[in-house]
Amino acid sequence: MKNRILALVAVFALGACGTGGEPAPGSAQASGAPAKLTVWIMDGSVTQDLLKKFETEYETAHQGVDLDLQVQAWDGIGERVTAALASTDAPDVIEVGNTQVAQYAASGGVTDLTARIGELNGADWLPGLAQPGNIDGKQYGIPWYAANRVVVYNKDLFAKAGIKEPPKTRDEWLDITTKLNKDGNQGIYLAGQTWYALAGFVWDEGGDLAVQEGGKWRGALDTPQALAGMDFYKRLQALGKGPKDADEATPPQHEVFAQGKVGQIIAVPGVAARVLEVDGTLKDKMGFFPIPGKTADKPGTVFTGGSDLIIPAASQRQEEAYELVKALAGEKFQTELAKAMSFVPNRTGLAGVLSGDEGTAAMAVGAAHGRATPNTPNWAAVEATSVIKQYMTAVLTGADPAAEARKTSESITTTLNSGS
Amino acid sequence: MRAGHRAFWPYLLIAPAVAGGAFLLLYPLLKAAVISFQHFRMGELIRGGAAFAGLDNYVELLSGAQFWQVLLRTLVWTATNVVLIVVLSTGVALMLVRLRRGLRLTLMSALALAWATPIIAATTVFQWLFQSELGVVNWLLVTLGFDSFQGYTWFADGTATFAVLVVLVVWQSVPFAALTLYAGLTTIPIELYESARIDGGTGRQVFWKVTVPMLRQLFALVAVLEVIWVAKCFPQIWVLSQGGPDDATTTLPIYAFKIARVLHRYDLGSAVAMLTVVILAVALVNNLRRMVRS
Amino acid sequence: MKRLTLNAAAVAVLVVTIFPVYWMFLTAFKPTRDIQSETPTFWPSHPTLDHFATAISAPNFWIYWRNSLLVTAAAVLFALVVALLAAFAVARMRWRGRGPFVVAVFAAQMAPWEALLVPVFIIARDTDLLDSLAMLTGVYFMITLPFTIVTLRGFLAAIPPELEEAALVDGCGRLAAFRRVAFPLLAPGLMATSMFGFITAWNEFAFVNVLIIKDQSLRTLPVWLSSFRDVFGTDWGATMAAASLFALPALLLFLFLQRHVGTGMTAGAVKG
Repeated sequence: MKNRILALVAVFALGACGTGGEPAPGSAQASGAPAKLTVWIMDGSVTQDLLKKFETEYETAHQGVDLDLQVQAWDGIGERVTAALASTDAPDVIEVGNTQVAQYAASGGVTDLTARIGELNGADWLPGLAQPGNIDGKQYGIPWYAANRVVVYNKDLFAKAGIKEPPKTRDEWLDITTKLNKDGNQGIYLAGQTWYALAGFVWDEGGDLAVQEGGKWRGALDTPQALAGMDFYKRLQALGKGPKDADEATPPQHEVFAQGKVGQIIAVPGVAARVLEVDGTLKDKMGFFPIPGKTADKPGTVFTGGSDLIIPAASQRQEEAYELVKALAGEKFQTELAKAMSFVPNRTGLAGVLSGDEGTAAMAVGAAHGRATPNTPNWAAVEATSVIKQYMTAVLTGADPAAEARKTSESITTTLNSGS
Repeated sequence: MRAGHRAFWPYLLIAPAVAGGAFLLLYPLLKAAVISFQHFRMGELIRGGAAFAGLDNYVELLSGAQFWQVLLRTLVWTATNVVLIVVLSTGVALMLVRLRRGLRLTLMSALALAWATPIIAATTVFQWLFQSELGVVNWLLVTLGFDSFQGYTWFADGTATFAVLVVLVVWQSVPFAALTLYAGLTTIPIELYESARIDGGTGRQVFWKVTVPMLRQLFALVAVLEVIWVAKCFPQIWVLSQGGPDDATTTLPIYAFKIARVLHRYDLGSAVAMLTVVILAVALVNNLRRMVRS
Repeated sequence: MKRLTLNAAAVAVLVVTIFPVYWMFLTAFKPTRDIQSETPTFWPSHPTLDHFATAISAPNFWIYWRNSLLVTAAAVLFALVVALLAAFAVARMRWRGRGPFVVAVFAAQMAPWEALLVPVFIIARDTDLLDSLAMLTGVYFMITLPFTIVTLRGFLAAIPPELEEAALVDGCGRLAAFRRVAFPLLAPGLMATSMFGFITAWNEFAFVNVLIIKDQSLRTLPVWLSSFRDVFGTDWGATMAAASLFALPALLLFLFLQRHVGTGMTAGAVKG
């Protein structure tokens, strides 16, 4: 019985191989049927209205293309993208986070788009998006959009504490936050595990999360510079009641901010829309300033978050998929996207669209000093295992920073050097 | 026992189960076994062409200290939970028998509610209850006068996180066990209790002399099922702690998940799974044999 | 006095059992503003249905609902039928290989399903069964089958074979005898085991996440349940509203079966 089942399975498998090789890319176009293009876009990246508008315009401009724009939930997305890349009929374009793109690019399941860099104005791309999409000199991920963190503050509480203008240096920042932190108000609500913010402080001190030495990666949280960054984080975090053992999403910090008793949070400017969903009366009470640096002449270094677009090698419509990527990464849509979502466009040349809005203007100042996480396919695994978050919690709750940093750096070293 | 020409009947009857098991369980299991002897990572999953790696994965696993630590932790985790679950659910079951109808039905419905609550929702609620600044548990403890719990960070400490997870899993598991044991208690003929009482037995003696022997099979089944479920428990731990802090809550399933789906080392992950199966089988083999024989 | 202690203990258990569930419902009815507050509120001062509206108006909600119902019902029914046949062979017949078969069924309960995700995905891909509800149903069927066989076997063993034999003497065929005599007695057992299968298949997320890829209209409710989250964190009000709705079918089924489930489980287990 078992043998027969296995034989049956084998037959199935053979059949599948047969069909898998058949359809040549783009062949459906010749037959006149509309080419259906499936696109995965992450929840919260683009508003429904903008998606609809893009779909209509694109389908009008490209007769014979039927766009299926699927908004993807965040839970389980890593496994879903892996499964899609490994399937025989994958979605044609997928949005992936810039800290995740390297692992997919390295897997061999993504189409190499190096030849298209010129056509897409690649010389002008934001490095924080372009570098992670580039493995061994080949460009797999096409930069889509970025966002970096700023300080969002409550103007009422600032006025009440007599603070006239936003701080320009870290010392001023600690100073005004201390002033804000009284009468039942929190100076800053900084969750203990906001590691993107920590990364910025570490970079400002001249440290890094991990460094590459002779082809090997090494976790670098135990350097004096990195420890100084952590020390500043600890001093800042103490000026409010952010939970030491949770990240900014548990509970969502915009919901806490919307209660009106929090002076500042560190977030991307797009968070303003979320705050207003909770309490619309805060509309004119939110202000923004770039994260202060060590000295007044240079704002703080920030982590560039964002997304790249990839075309799975298993997509059956490579040419059409590329045309679509070109439109999504092109000037027209980039401008619309940046305005609608308060994002930084994928090219520095387009940064002009950010002026005019307080939040995005503050972000643009920081964006000029943006950096990405260590450029290795395994970085995604470091994030997923939360070791940095756990390190922060340990230090904030009183453990010895040097010892914890050493342990965590070792763990990062192991993860980054485990082959793929 | 039956006539000869009927001899093929039992085989026909189990054929669908065997067929299903062969294609959907045995075949994937064999595949996993094969993967555990290969170099099989994200690239191989996507492109195919995995190379044979012999015992490399098993050697890597068994030679490191981590696997054994995780194994030991899994044993502690499973034992703690199962003991608590069996003891508490026995208590609840005994309580249910003695309660008046109204309160009994209310309590049973509550247990059903807890059982039917989706794991993700229950886990999230527990995460909130134990939040350091806005959590109800700290608020309650401080209100009761335990001021040291003001802003206490449950998820910063390994033991505290472990404890919270035990509370969560016990809370989720007691309903099934308690309702099953209660149902078992109701099948014990009332005469047995009466005669035991007449013989002068105290409550405790009656429990050990009558209840336990009558329900031995049921206790064994509940215990075995709970061992299997608790040892394999995954989403609760992953959502609350990702196995941390400092690996204090990294049990075998978490360990396998980190390896297979975070590091994309499907080969090493399969090796962990194979070893887990062997360990569970060895641990339960006596119980299984006894259950099958009876 | 004794009664008072007992009742007090019962109430304590009740509170501990119900509180997290109550908190879930409560959050679903609280305006987002009130969900994170410094002093907990145990009663919604301004109850709202907004979160339920958000949950229900999520894209594809009704399609997911239909898929979940379809897959769960098919998997449970299929498992019951297949398990009943196998359980009959084990409980009523003597044949070579019976012992090993029973051990295999018990062992199958230990299957490391999490670790089988990748092999099952590969099998589905190579047999062209990705994006197919049939494959998903098959997996859920297999996850619940061993438990179902074990439990039904116990039930069957609890029914005296003499009852059937009497019917056989009366001229019924073997099948007819089984259907008329044993089947009615089995009904509670069938329902009890279906409850377990229902909860398992209804909640499953990992497999649907990788087996249904390109055809979004084939996903199931757990996907919906986890969809109220983005970069800024989770919309907890909507998630809790969704979870409340999600728990409802299992709960209704349980309350409906309660009498049968309790006794059913035991009869199966005791004789197991």
